[in-house]
Amino acid sequence: MMRGLRGFIQIIDEIGKALLFLSEIIKTLLFRPCRKSLVFEQIWHVTVESFATTAMAGFFVGAIMAVQFTVQMKEFGALGYLGGLATSGTFREVGPLLIAFMLSGKIGAFTSAELGTMRVTEQIDAIRCLGADPMQEIILPRFLGIIVSSFFLLFLGLLMSVFGGMFLGYSLAGVNPEEYVRHIPTIITAPSIATGLVKCFTFAVVLATICTQKGFYAVGGAKGVGKAVVSTAVTTMIAIVVMDWLTSFLGEVFLQMAIGS
Amino acid sequence: MIRFKNLVKRFGERTVLRGISLDVRQGEILFILGTSGTGKSVLLKNIVGLLRPDEGEIWIDGQEVSKLTEEQYLPIRKKCGMVFQHPALFDSLTIHENVAFGLRRHFQFSEGEIGAKVKKALALVHLQGIESKRPGQISYGMQKRVSLARTVALEPEILLFDEPTTGLDPITTNAVNQLIQDLSHTLKTTSLVVSHDMQCALSIADRIVVLDQGSIVALGTPTEIKNSPVPLVKDFMAEVHS
Repeated sequence: MMRGLRGFIQIIDEIGKALLFLSEIIKTLLFRPCRKSLVFEQIWHVTVESFATTAMAGFFVGAIMAVQFTVQMKEFGALGYLGGLATSGTFREVGPLLIAFMLSGKIGAFTSAELGTMRVTEQIDAIRCLGADPMQEIILPRFLGIIVSSFFLLFLGLLMSVFGGMFLGYSLAGVNPEEYVRHIPTIITAPSIATGLVKCFTFAVVLATICTQKGFYAVGGAKGVGKAVVSTAVTTMIAIVVMDWLTSFLGEVFLQMAIGS
Repeated sequence: MIRFKNLVKRFGERTVLRGISLDVRQGEILFILGTSGTGKSVLLKNIVGLLRPDEGEIWIDGQEVSKLTEEQYLPIRKKCGMVFQHPALFDSLTIHENVAFGLRRHFQFSEGEIGAKVKKALALVHLQGIESKRPGQISYGMQKRVSLARTVALEPEILLFDEPTTGLDPITTNAVNQLIQDLSHTLKTTSLVVSHDMQCALSIADRIVVLDQGSIVALGTPTEIKNSPVPLVKDFMAEVHS
C-alpha cells in the first residue's frame, strides 16, 4: 500500500518537474529566444539522422496494418476497402504511436545522453560561467529542433505507411495500387487527419520535453547518464501512451460535439 | 577581494561546508587543499554562483553576491574565470570557437578582435595552429590547456582552478602549474587553486588553506603549513617527503 502510494507520488513529482521544465523553456522562448541558426542546425541534424529509419518504420507499420486488414476483408469480400481502412487505422492510432516510440528510442536517447554528458563533464557549468544561458544556448534549440523534426518525421512515417500498405495489399491480396487508394479519401475524413496530426504534434512536444529535461538534470558521471537515458526511454513511452489515450478521447468528444451541434 | 563569512552549504542531509570564513587577498595564489569530498570544489562553485550557499555570505570586491539572480551574476562571472576539473570544451565547436565562446557573450568585439584575442590566449598556454581542430582531435592535456586559454581570454581579475592537473602526466602537470604561476604574474590575477598536490602548493602558492570535512583546519604561508601540527597537514607533508 505504502509502496503504491510512494510510486503514485513519484509519478506526480515527475509530471510536475516536466511541466516546470516546459514552462522554463516557454519563458526562454518568449523572453530570451535563441539564435535561429542553432534551431536550423538541430532540425537538420535530427532529420538527417532519423530520416531513413523513420521512413522504413512507417513503411512497415503500414504493411503490418494491411496484413491484419487483408485477413478480415477477404472474409467479407471487401478487399476494395483495404486501403481506406488500413490507412485510417494507421493515421488515427497505430502509426503515430509506433513511429513516436521509434523516435523516442532514437532522438530521445541521443539527446538525453548528449545533454547528460554535457552536464557531468561540466560543459553546462562552463556555459554559465562564460556568460551564456544554457536554456537559451542548448535546451531551446534542441527542444524546437526536435519538435519540428519529429512532427515532420511522424508525418513522413505516416505517408510511407500508405506505400507500405499499398505494397502489401498488392503482393499479398493482389489489390492494385489504384484500387488501394480509391477509398482512402472516402474513409479518411478531415477529423481523422486532424487527430493524426494533433497526435504527431503532442508526441513531439512530449518527446522534446522529457529528453531535454532528463539529460539536463543528469547527475553522477557515466552511470548517471545511463540512468537518464533509460529514464527518458521509459518515461517517454509511458507519456506517449497516456497522451495517445487523451488525444483520442478528446478527439472523440469534440467530434461528438461537432456532430451534435 | 573575496571574503567568505560563515559559509554553509548542504546537500540534503549532508553538510559539505561548515561555516567557512576566509579572506582571499588581491593578487595572491591561494591553494585549497584537502582530501576528496571535503568541499573544495563546492567552495569554488559558490564564488561563481554555480552553487548558492545555504547560510553565510560571499563578498567579491565589496559586493555581497550570494543572493544575486542569474542575470545579476553576469558581471561577477565576467570578473571570475573558472577552469573546471574536466576540460569542459564544447565538442561540436572548433578550438577557435571554444575560446571565442565567452568573448562573444561577454563583450562586443569585432571578429578580427576576437581572432586576435583567441590567438593570444592560445599562445599564453603554448598552443598554436590548432584553432580549426575540434576537442576530440587533440590530447587530454591539450584540452586542459585550451580550457585554460578559454578562461584567460576573458582577462578575468580572479582565476579559479578546480583540480587543474588531475588526470595529467607529470610533465604536463608541471607545465600547467608553471602556467598558473606565470598567468597570475602576467595578468596580475588573484588565483584560487583547488588541488591535492601539496608539493606544487608549497612551490607556487602564496598561502595555503587546508579543509577537512567542510572546515578550515590550517591556513598560512607554505613555510607555516610545513610546520603545522595539524594531523591532516602532517599526512600531506608525509606524502611530499615519501
